[in-house]
Amino acid sequence: MARKMLIDGEVKQASQVEEEAHFDFDLFVIGAGSGGVRAARFSANYGAKVGICELPFDPISSEVNGGVGGTCVLRGCVPKKILVYGANFGGEIEDARNYGWEINEKVDFNWKTLLQKKTDEIVRLNAIYKRLLSNSGVKLYEGEGKVTGPNEVELTQLDGTKLKYSAKHILIATGSKAQYIDIPGKELGITSDEALSLEDLPKRAVVLGAGYIAVEFASIWRGMGATVDLFFRGELPLRGFDDEMRAVVARNLEGRGINMHPRTNLTELTKTENGIKVRTDHGEELLADVVLFATGRAPNTKRLNLEAVGVELDKTGAVKVDEHSRSNIHSIWAVGDVTNRMNLTPVALMEGTCFAKTVFTGQPTKPDYNYIPYAVFSIPPLSVVGLSEEKALDQANGDVLVFTSTFNPMKNTISGRQEKTVMKLVVDAETDKVLGASMCGPDAPEIMQGIAVALKCGATKKQFDSTVGIHPSAAEEFVTMRSATRRVTASGKPKTNL
Amino acid sequence: MAAAAAAAAAAASSLTTPKLTFPSLQSLYRKLPLSFPLSLSSSSSLPLPKTLTTTTSLSSRRPLSHHRRRHLTTRAEAENGAEASRHYDFDLFTIGAGSGGVRASRFAANFGASVAVCELPFSTVSSETTGGVGGTCVLRGCVPKKLLVYASKYAHEFDESRGFGWKYDSDPLHDWDTLMANKNAELQRLTGIYKNILNNAGVTLIEGRGKIVDPHTVDVDGKLYSARHILISVGGRPFIPDIPGSEYVIDSDAALDLPSKPKKIAIVGGGYIALEFAGIFNGLKSDVHVFIRQKKVLRGFDEEIRDFVAEQMSLRGIELHTEESPQAIIKSADGSLSLKTNKGTVEGFSHVMFATGRRPNTKNLGLESVGVKMTNNGAIEVDEYSCTSVPSIWAVGDVTDRINLTPVALMEGVALAKTLFQNEPTKPDYRAVPSAVFSQPPIGQVGITEEQATKEHGDIDVFTANFRPLKATLSGLPDRVFMKLIVCAKTNKVLGLNMCGEDSPEIVQGFAVAIKAGLTKEDFDSTVGIHPTAAEEFVTMRTPTRKIREHPPAEVC
Repeated sequence: MARKMLIDGEVKQASQVEEEAHFDFDLFVIGAGSGGVRAARFSANYGAKVGICELPFDPISSEVNGGVGGTCVLRGCVPKKILVYGANFGGEIEDARNYGWEINEKVDFNWKTLLQKKTDEIVRLNAIYKRLLSNSGVKLYEGEGKVTGPNEVELTQLDGTKLKYSAKHILIATGSKAQYIDIPGKELGITSDEALSLEDLPKRAVVLGAGYIAVEFASIWRGMGATVDLFFRGELPLRGFDDEMRAVVARNLEGRGINMHPRTNLTELTKTENGIKVRTDHGEELLADVVLFATGRAPNTKRLNLEAVGVELDKTGAVKVDEHSRSNIHSIWAVGDVTNRMNLTPVALMEGTCFAKTVFTGQPTKPDYNYIPYAVFSIPPLSVVGLSEEKALDQANGDVLVFTSTFNPMKNTISGRQEKTVMKLVVDAETDKVLGASMCGPDAPEIMQGIAVALKCGATKKQFDSTVGIHPSAAEEFVTMRSATRRVTASGKPKTNL
Repeated sequence: MAAAAAAAAAAASSLTTPKLTFPSLQSLYRKLPLSFPLSLSSSSSLPLPKTLTTTTSLSSRRPLSHHRRRHLTTRAEAENGAEASRHYDFDLFTIGAGSGGVRASRFAANFGASVAVCELPFSTVSSETTGGVGGTCVLRGCVPKKLLVYASKYAHEFDESRGFGWKYDSDPLHDWDTLMANKNAELQRLTGIYKNILNNAGVTLIEGRGKIVDPHTVDVDGKLYSARHILISVGGRPFIPDIPGSEYVIDSDAALDLPSKPKKIAIVGGGYIALEFAGIFNGLKSDVHVFIRQKKVLRGFDEEIRDFVAEQMSLRGIELHTEESPQAIIKSADGSLSLKTNKGTVEGFSHVMFATGRRPNTKNLGLESVGVKMTNNGAIEVDEYSCTSVPSIWAVGDVTDRINLTPVALMEGVALAKTLFQNEPTKPDYRAVPSAVFSQPPIGQVGITEEQATKEHGDIDVFTANFRPLKATLSGLPDRVFMKLIVCAKTNKVLGLNMCGEDSPEIVQGFAVAIKAGLTKEDFDSTVGIHPTAAEEFVTMRTPTRKIREHPPAEVC
């Protein structure tokens, strides 16, 4: 065996490798989503013998259904983005009229066409992922995996037969699942899984939640012509994001015709002839065809038998791991949403890559969680990288300079759409380092990627300013913010110089 | 509308403080509701005029060695004789209120100089007697072009939307008059805004044709103005070669403001203007034929991008005629036009447009008489500080034919204002200037091409991606995206980045910051992607498509 393996951080001697040859696999991965597939493929490429198991394919996940590709490909990023594309045309068609296009008053949207195409696409991607695995020599098993020992996995196949495999390393990459909150009638509601596979487009949609999933589905249904009511506990949606940008998103969602209900909870759902009756804690009642619970996701650890083998979980049920994605049991590792670190596909990919490097190349590699950019595909979208103004104030030693640009995008000058694009840079006043960037407006996720490269590598505001703009673009605003909008002192912090 | 604007202004002012003294000019038109309160409040905090002291100290700083003597001469005169008290009407007189001229004038005024700018009366089509505040970019270039690109791009979006379940009872039809009326209303609004910007900055705007009489005097329609410094920023204009029938030909000025939509148009030229208009008219359902002299479009761009964009445009229905040079335009009895080329004659055009280059507007400016040196094609020769061969005369923007882009003219204008009036000699920095072609699909690029990189750096690694975007898998259209990174094999620095596909211009801007900052391929790799986007491909290019080595290692047998 030419490959090197790390056990407890040390490269084993050849004689010891001999001894361990009784394992069926060097690595067995439970869950073939973004993180699991990446880790399995890379490990196999580094010379490891790898097995992976995944539940049978179904667009809607459950304890017995899943599918190679995982949340991102089958029930997340990809189908969501397809629906966002579809919904975005609603606004585009409106905008086209002032540009001289004569379009019928009412343009039909056929949900079933889009749904079928979406399903075709995820079926295609599911097959591609399977091929990726087999091309890298990873053995794929269909069925439910359980951990039965530090080096043993039990696989329940579709016909009920059970198989047991031993593995030097086990990787948990089972992801997470959407959660309901406990109110009477919650069974009448749906989660994002079902929302991506509805038989019919709702005419009246109620969305509960303020996270990115809530605002994305609100935008999707609104763009397709539905009446949408968005309910959330807080003052603004998207907790954790920059407060100023949250306000911008709220304003833009409202501008696109979504009815916003801040500081409002749902208390009860009841079935009526005319739809689901939704009651709020303000005593309001409204009827809906669909009620979406976008109320968080929980790690899929329940049926894995982890407690029995002693793998520690946190309060939310996430697998506790160290910086190298290793659990408290040395042969068991975990990556992706099941660890509830930063629940993003590219982060799971990074964790999967680092895991494979750490375990199978003798190069212990930690994922780097600094300056990870991400996007909310609301309409218009929000994208951010680095620190919000609030976090920057928390972390900076001195003052923070805030640069903002609020403008009417050129396209709107003729379309007449009343929607401002907002961009923001947060800069350390002392070092001139750009600590955070955010944007809400068309193309924000595409624009932010390059900005993220600059921030990740410590770009200064001066370097932004020295870059020439691409004219006419929205993105050029990021390099033409000449004067600070405000200088903020961390006045809320206790003073140390007495 | 007024209420909405007021509300927007109120909202905006809650986001911004009056500290925003110099908002970027090219963006101001988009931020109209912001600009007034900000500019007004900022004018009150203008520094006191201190032109004389700054100019004096400037000449002592001597930014230009070969001008040193002349500056000294002027100073000597100033100190020894009547010249010392010579009064000028203005510290700076700018001829031409386009991007570069307005920027330099505003900044100079903000730095305390007394400034005048002259510009021809407004017209959508430029000539010896017409122009308009805002210049090419705002009135006959970037802005109206982009508005027409937006308009025409909807055709493609309608096609895409069908794949996403949208259904139209009848095919959407385009009404040219509505577009032209709305576009022209927007241009009128913008030229008004630019006048206000100048006014708010305290710049005197004089309408008329400026001509240089002597190194310190400008004649505007018979009236003479003296100035310590004169700035020429008169831009460029389309150039049409003199061939038989050229009187039937339209240029880009006219193409942006046609009375009716072309049914069938011949576009002669392979540069960015030709491709942009080809996309516009194709989207608006004209029959479009592009005639290029060379084998490929977009000379000077990355070779793979040149091939890729030509293929994508062909797939959208544009007919490219390569290696065909125009020889004559013939008008038939029915009024239609034929284009005769070295390969034959194509008939039945309603319009023939030439996008055959632009020339600096240096005729009849009095430049020869005061001794301002020009290049063969009529561009004003300037040094690194934008100074002409006459020390009191300066030039920025397209008239100098350096890099003819609005943001470059803005950069030159700012640098000049700093050099002249802030005691801070500043050279524009032409490294890693990004640019875009708003063809359909568009192109964005920054840094050097593979060909240049091979020449300048020898060993390079080339990373490419050519993929069908998620949107196209659903729409069923043959759209693809091409991306390319050129990396120095020795230093691992990213030397160039190219992209052709939807959103390229928006995507490339952020990467331009990274490339300008000198970042390496590792820096790109260490950045996490934003999923699912097209842009994330630029940070997930793991293995080079090819490695180019000056001295390939010998084959091991």
